[in-house]
This record gives sequence, structure tokens and C-alpha cells, in this order.
Amino acid sequence: MSADPGRDVDRVEIEAPLDLAFQGVVRLVVGGIAEQANFGFEAMDDLQLAIERLLAETGSDGRVKFSFELSDGAVRTRIGPLRESGLAAALQETDGDAGTLSLARILSAVVDSFGVEPATDGQIVVRLEKLGTPRP
Amino acid sequence: MSDYSQAGRAARQREDRELLRRYHVDGDPSARERLIARHLPLVRSLARRYAGRGEPLEDIEQVGSIGLIKAIDRFDIEREVSLATYATPNIVGEIKRHFRDKGWAIRVPRSLQELNAKMSGAIDDLTARLGHSPSVGEIAQSLGTTNEEVLEALEVGTAYTALSLDAGPAGSDDDSDPMETIGGEDAEFDRSEDRATLGPALAQLPAREREILRMRFEEGLPQTQIAERVGLSQMHVSRLIRRSLATMRAELDE
Repeated sequence: MSADPGRDVDRVEIEAPLDLAFQGVVRLVVGGIAEQANFGFEAMDDLQLAIERLLAETGSDGRVKFSFELSDGAVRTRIGPLRESGLAAALQETDGDAGTLSLARILSAVVDSFGVEPATDGQIVVRLEKLGTPRP
Repeated sequence: MSDYSQAGRAARQREDRELLRRYHVDGDPSARERLIARHLPLVRSLARRYAGRGEPLEDIEQVGSIGLIKAIDRFDIEREVSLATYATPNIVGEIKRHFRDKGWAIRVPRSLQELNAKMSGAIDDLTARLGHSPSVGEIAQSLGTTNEEVLEALEVGTAYTALSLDAGPAGSDDDSDPMETIGGEDAEFDRSEDRATLGPALAQLPAREREILRMRFEEGLPQTQIAERVGLSQMHVSRLIRRSLATMRAELDE
């Protein structure tokens, strides 16, 4: 884990097994980062849910890196590399039929933006951006 | 005589069988909905036996409902057994599995469990008082504790959905349960095929959860507004959303 104190952007990086048993650890880290970004409970919960649902679609083998950048009340998260196998396409399907609930639709509701970057060996990195609610 | 008399029970069983026939033979989804509604009192009754073990009763009922739905879906209408008899071990099994999967959380310090129990009211009170969703620091301050303890206590309440509904095989006592069978290359392929739409699994959820998901992901309402509409705490709405999505994912993996 690393942080850059005194700079505009603080970055925290962790690497964890994709095994479900480690999702609690990841949630705790995300909660701590959201607190550092002065997120409210709901924004924190949204970001945790986005990461949780994304990981639920990626299988449980291997390891994954998480990079969190905190700046201006926002948290930008990069998750990967992840095995592709249709994940990138699924992340583009925001307009499903009425009554359907796609991964992309879930992410659209809980984060402010998301996208996909190519990585090595045909894998991908998923980007999530979450803005905290402005405080008075 | 009450409906619990022998004649009443027999009549109910006949009605159940007709509904089961309509669901399994005719494919009538409304029959399934009625069966679920008719047997929710059984779920509540069984869930009450497990109250006071560190889990909200409503959560235990929710887990028990999953067992009921599985029982309805798996029921073999050729068998001469009542649905209540068949469903009871399914419901109890689901509840026990919930506690077993969550065993690590139940062993956390009592102070953390108590903090988790206070959290829900604190979040709602602070949201109303501050006019925004409170930060972890604000929650900690209002409860006289640390940010880290708040995060840990939140995790106690969240862990269930990630660790039990999404989990792979968790034990050997019920290895026929398709809900706990995930993995393998074929499953990975199917996962990529159906990850785009959780629609069919949506229909499996109770009406309240479907409505909450619709409000959150179609209307785009924040948890606070959903909580007001359905009369639950924000934290409970958060947990129901999490659990519903995990349930749907697990349904697709069957």
C-alpha cells in the first residue's frame, strides 16, 4: 500500500486474491479510502457495491490489483488485470430490455463513470469513478 | 374451527397441490407467487427460532424465504408429501447455512455487534439532522467510537451477502444444493454469456426486493429516498440491494 501525502492526488494500491474470502478485506479498504475522501455512507456503500458486483462477475481464481486515486472529493479506482471473456462487452450494455438488470446498469447507478482499458494478454482493467456528495 | 384443524390442513394441502400443478405443469408464475405468500408464515415461524443470535429477525426471514422458494421450485408433484413438510428442512437448512457461513462474524466482539445494531438508527438520524448522508467520521462521532470501529461494524452487517450467497461450496452436508455450486470452465463461459442480463433472476425475488431494485437501478433513486418509500432504514435498504443482487447472481449460476 502506498500513499503520496501532501500531493493533489493520493494513491493507494493493494493486490488481493480474487477469492471471495478476501472481499471483506477489500470492502474495509474501500471504506477507509471513502472516509479519507470524505464520502458519505451512501457514496461509500455505492463504491463498495460497484466493486463487489464487478468481482462477482470475474471468477475467483488468481489475483487482482486495485489502485485508488483520491482527489477533489472523488475516488478513481482501477481494477485489473481481469480475464476478459465477455466482461468488456457486458460493461457496454446499459440499455437492456425493460425489466432486465445488467452489470452495466448497476454500475451506471452506483458510480459516476466507468470504462475499460486493455491490458496485457487480452485482459482488461476496469475503471470506476465515484464522486462524493458535496458537503455544505 | 380454525384453518389449522385437520380438515383445514387437508384443504390447504389440496390448494397447495393445485397451485404446484399450475406452476410446474402449466408454467403459471402467479401460482408460484401465491405459494410463496401462503407459506411465508411458516418461514416466519421457523425464523423466530433463530432470533437473538446476533442477526436481525427480518434478515433471517429473508434467508428462510430463499429456502422456501427453492423448495417450491424443486418440488416433485408426483410425491405424496405436503409442501410444508417438504419446505421445512429446506428453510431451516438455508437459515443454518446462513449462520454457518457467517460464523466468523458472529465471533466478532460483542461490542462490535452492538455497534452494528446501533448504526442503522444513527445513519438515519444523522441523515435527517445533517441533510446529507453522514460520513464514517460523523457516524463514529455520534456513537462515541472510532472510524475504524464503524467500518468494522459495517462489515459485520455486509459480509453475509458476499460470503454466503456468492460463495462456492461451503460444506459437505448439502452438496446437492445448486445455489452453492459455482465454477468450472463451463460455468465461467455461462457466466460471461448471462452476465449481461440478470432479468430472469429478477423475477425470482420477492416483490418488495424487486421494487427496491427497480427504484434504485431504473428510477435512480438514492437509498435514502427508497428507505422513506418502503419504510425501512437506509442501512437495511443497502443490505437488501446487496443481498438481492447476490441472490440473482446465484440463481444464474444454478
